Amino acid sequence: MRAVTIAALLLSAGAPAWPPAHAEDASPAARQAAFAKLPYWPGLWLTEHDESTIGGLSVAQIEARESGKAAEHNPALSLFGFAAPWNEEGKKRQAARMNQGNGNRTAEGWGYPMMMNAAAPLQFLITPEEVLMINAYRDVRHIRTDGSPHPGPDDIWPTVWGDSVGHWDGDTLVIDTIGVRNPNVYFHGGPPLSDDAHYVEKLHMVSPDRIEGEITITDPATLTGPWTVKLAWTRDDSFGRMIHDAFTNDRTDNENATIAPPADEQPGGEKGE
Amino acid sequence: MRNTFAWAAALCLSLAAAPADAHHSMAMFDMSKTVTVSGTVKEFQWTNPHCYIQVLGKDGKEWSMEMGAPMYLYSNGWRPKSVKPGDQITARLYPLRDGKPGGVVIDVKTADGKILGGKRA
Repeated sequence: MRAVTIAALLLSAGAPAWPPAHAEDASPAARQAAFAKLPYWPGLWLTEHDESTIGGLSVAQIEARESGKAAEHNPALSLFGFAAPWNEEGKKRQAARMNQGNGNRTAEGWGYPMMMNAAAPLQFLITPEEVLMINAYRDVRHIRTDGSPHPGPDDIWPTVWGDSVGHWDGDTLVIDTIGVRNPNVYFHGGPPLSDDAHYVEKLHMVSPDRIEGEITITDPATLTGPWTVKLAWTRDDSFGRMIHDAFTNDRTDNENATIAPPADEQPGGEKGE
Repeated sequence: MRNTFAWAAALCLSLAAAPADAHHSMAMFDMSKTVTVSGTVKEFQWTNPHCYIQVLGKDGKEWSMEMGAPMYLYSNGWRPKSVKPGDQITARLYPLRDGKPGGVVIDVKTADGKILGGKRA
């Protein structure tokens, strides 16, 4: 009774419910034992069928063009949203995005969930406490697997990559993600979901060179029901190593699509973003 | 309904020219045409989000030749010194629709006729 009273007092005093009490760090031996039980997904991974030419064009698209047949694969558009069960609000948002041009807006990366469907190489770093997913555009996800919950409603706000917690169901990584800002605000290729969308992923390495996954998205604000997108990644050693660099030469302009030389080489010009 | 049709049409356009990196639409390029440009490399910009080769063409114009991000070039066997200022190259491009001297690179040949690049070039 007394404990309940104290808890109630703490809550009413605005004591934070999150972060949860910090668990003791595992001993090195216990951590090694935990590591040994985990899957290992080494290497760099690329969305299946999403290889690029030196022009940055999709190899699958170019082959289709040359053969005169429709492309069998268009992996970069899996999460674009054309197959999603949009409700009226979702349809309105989809229609609006088509009038906004195709510029990259504020993005230097793809954000979540698009980074899971990007042409950029992706790394899965699995540890006992968290799984890190990092791509070449410096999109980074921290997926806590230490049992800590999502923050409470007063401790979370929408971000480009959201908040993810996960657990291992055998060799399948199950991830629960919330707090993702409308992905279309950050990146023009992102689906225009609401900030309240809920994402559940299941990822599984089916062979040393292939990982399969699916994302099921529920978002009553924009969808009539769950939207499931299947994804696959293949190991790609051609990238050699993960290389990051800033965007220093963005010549595109949302309103005036061009690749004219950088503005500082043009009289009176200002470098566009 | 009209809106639905409009964005379906826009999708068809974007599907026809989808860039793998998706940094920007490829609509500015006319992918039904190919132009071949020979000239001298002024500068090779190994930069995100796109690499560019600036070429002083034999037609007297400076061409901006857009390529993918460095990681895509790297995975196709290109390196920052694959082309250098002063090199003579011949490039095939999908040209800019607006008629400016630029385009997206299909392939690049060195002066000795060798195509630069690896498995996907």
